[in-house]
Amino acid sequence: MSSNGTATPSGNNSDQDDLYQKHQKVYVREVHGLFATLRNTAMVVLLGIYYGLAWINWDGQQALLFDLPERKFYIFGLVFWPQDFIYLSALLIIAAIALFMFTSLAGRLWCGYACPQTVWTEMYMWMERLVEGDGRKQRKLDQGKHDSSYFGKKAAKHALWLAFSLWTGFTFVGYFTPIRELAENFITWNLGPWETFWIFFYGFATYGNAGFMREQVCIYMCPYARFQSAMFDRDTLIISYDEKRGEPRSRKPKKALEAGETSGDCVDCGLCVQVCPTGIDIRNGLQYQCIGCAACIDVCDQVMEKVGNPKGLIRYTTENALEGNPAHILRPRVFIYVGIITLVFGLLIYSILTRTPLEVDVIRDRAALYNENNMGLIENVYHLKVINMDARDHEFSIGVDGLEGIRIAGETDLRVMVKSGAVVEVPLRVEVDPASIKQRSSEIYFNVSAIDQPDLLQNEPGKFIGPVSR
Amino acid sequence: MPTLPVNRRPSEELPVVQRIVSVMWPSFVTAAASTIVFFALFDPSDLARLLGFPELSAFAAYTAGFFGFWLSTSISSTLSGYFSQPTYRANSNGSLDRE
Repeated sequence: MSSNGTATPSGNNSDQDDLYQKHQKVYVREVHGLFATLRNTAMVVLLGIYYGLAWINWDGQQALLFDLPERKFYIFGLVFWPQDFIYLSALLIIAAIALFMFTSLAGRLWCGYACPQTVWTEMYMWMERLVEGDGRKQRKLDQGKHDSSYFGKKAAKHALWLAFSLWTGFTFVGYFTPIRELAENFITWNLGPWETFWIFFYGFATYGNAGFMREQVCIYMCPYARFQSAMFDRDTLIISYDEKRGEPRSRKPKKALEAGETSGDCVDCGLCVQVCPTGIDIRNGLQYQCIGCAACIDVCDQVMEKVGNPKGLIRYTTENALEGNPAHILRPRVFIYVGIITLVFGLLIYSILTRTPLEVDVIRDRAALYNENNMGLIENVYHLKVINMDARDHEFSIGVDGLEGIRIAGETDLRVMVKSGAVVEVPLRVEVDPASIKQRSSEIYFNVSAIDQPDLLQNEPGKFIGPVSR
Repeated sequence: MPTLPVNRRPSEELPVVQRIVSVMWPSFVTAAASTIVFFALFDPSDLARLLGFPELSAFAAYTAGFFGFWLSTSISSTLSGYFSQPTYRANSNGSLDRE
């Protein structure tokens, strides 16, 4: 944007001032209405999932458990390993593109309804209201005398917040270490030092972010807030104040009319500012602080109803619609996003369904390159790591090929039992007639296959080293 | 961009929260990501054995890894913040004479 130093767009003047303002607590007035109900429903559902999911069992195993010490990730009966990192990347790609799609459709839906920062802030504000009352009462309390009732209320609020934070931290750790054991240890105060540390660390972060930082997280910490406008276009549904209809705003519209002045629908009651969790005035136009929570829509609709004007002075609308142009909800960029999501999701599902839950690592013994045994055969020593990533136990048979007459020394039918999720190390010697060794280092293959399920197999290459016969 | 009046130095007048957050937050995010990638590649129990602490628990290793990453990334962020200050302040009186 170039500037000739004369004109600045209206409504942006406050931007500069914001840079220099000390932070002031935003006292939020409670709001009821369609979007408040949606937001509260989302809050209850999402918090319910967070606190509840850790307790659900699946096949006798915690349904969602990221077992860090064992380095295994249990997700509804499937077991993932650090080697399956690619799936996580695919999930992240899907999440990112979905975020772009929802943003281009209807602005900051994520921020307003689903972002953990919003959800936990709503929860903490609810607890605050429970103790201190609505926004106006909170302000009065803070500005009034600091007497026993003040300290009593503050203590009650912080006790509630801290208890909830502790529960949040506990649940968080419960996704990384079995939550039932954790609960037992917690009750008997028998927690390990690191578990204790992480419960308090995560709890403290929740307490700080949802209790104190709140909208500052969105304004200063969130990268998405700053680049989201790149995903907006003229057909994106955003929460806007209908300036044409509202202006000139007037607190006493009737008197203004009698005095021969024109008057818009906005009665300048200021409620849209009082309910805003980030403390902005939506009438100044789209601002990056707006998290799209729609609280101002709810409250303005109530006011419009009271004064007898049609609802929707503040509403979800598009730039095109505000200018009276036709709106296009389904447009190319939406189809492109949907296409990418479908593709990545399809690939993810396909590769999960067809993945071989068996991994074999071949480690050559480094003590000696090769030995000649008493039968005149050349021997190499290996350690095979057989990792059963399947949800069931399997018995595997191990064979070797790649050179003429190659076989596992001292074994005719080598089998190994590997429990689900276990790693078994098999030391073995491989012997070859020196006559069939054509080069110093030959590629051989270890064939490991499940006896009860022949398609569960891996052919893992390894190096066989021996003297070249002439 | 509208130009700021010269007597207002943005880097000195940013809200304290924003200054703290601009160091702690990016370093936290990169440390978390690095921790995930690092431990996806290396098993902490192998590392602990190699470094001669076989009794180190996995939780302790992950914790040490994360905070180690966070320490180094926050040093990097701090230096970025430090070097992005206007250079006139390097002069003893920090005056704006040259502008």
